[in-house]
Amino acid sequence: MAKEFRSGRKGITGGLEGPERELLIKLFQDVITTLEPDTPEDEDPLASLVGISEDSSVPEDPALARLLPQASDDDEEAAEFRRLTERSVREAKIGHLRMAAMDCESPKLLLDHEHSMAFASALNDVRLVLATRLGIESEEDAQRVASYTDWSQAQDVESYMSLVYQFVSWLQDSLVEAMLSDLD
Amino acid sequence: MVSQSAQNLPVASESAPGTSPETTPSADVGLLDRPAEDNPWRVIVWNDPVNLMSYVTYVFRAHFHYSQDKARTLMMAVHQEGRATVFTGGREDAERHTSAMHGYGLWATFERDGG
Repeated sequence: MAKEFRSGRKGITGGLEGPERELLIKLFQDVITTLEPDTPEDEDPLASLVGISEDSSVPEDPALARLLPQASDDDEEAAEFRRLTERSVREAKIGHLRMAAMDCESPKLLLDHEHSMAFASALNDVRLVLATRLGIESEEDAQRVASYTDWSQAQDVESYMSLVYQFVSWLQDSLVEAMLSDLD
Repeated sequence: MVSQSAQNLPVASESAPGTSPETTPSADVGLLDRPAEDNPWRVIVWNDPVNLMSYVTYVFRAHFHYSQDKARTLMMAVHQEGRATVFTGGREDAERHTSAMHGYGLWATFERDGG
């Protein structure tokens, strides 16, 4: 079983077992795959260099649309914002997810400020993707998912995914509480 | 903001002219004194049942450097009322903060204040 994150002099430490680390690495990689843009071959290389994307439509994948939400209720405004900023948001997220996946390679987690922020936001992105797959739109949906409490209940994709979601939620909360205690 | 008269402006400052408040001729206008029309944009964070209360609080504290009390109050507004205005200011800053919130995984939008 994973141990709670603790804040210490050298940073935030966490204890994850081998299979838990493997699971997280897999989840981080899945989200990276979801986020990697399909680059059209005829894309303007200069535009891509400065982080502007040609495509400013809402992503078709609902999980991706939750990771990269509309920034305005004015569609034109939202599209322009997406064109100018979406690529850099994707890249920042991918950077955090890669950093967190790398941290999970080591049996003992020791996270400085940058790594703990990356880890917390990577866990949040994993939860957003899992929540979309589980159809969590409201507090009631969240309660339904929370009704799975034990791994012996893992019988199908829905129950397994619900338990994974709860594990990742617990982990993120534990990490963020340690981060909050560092701010005080 | 303390009012500066022209007589006591330092003549030869070590910093480049115009970069420090002491050498800025218009130093009697503070950052908080800007007329309302200079702040016509706001950033709103919307509730998502996925986002943990602890995480939302942390993001508000770490990103905006808000106090524990202010960050918690805003988080509770998001949680209970479904939304909270977390920033009011110029358009460029509003866009930058919106993009940063998306980076953290929070759902934020920007709009004209009062719009």
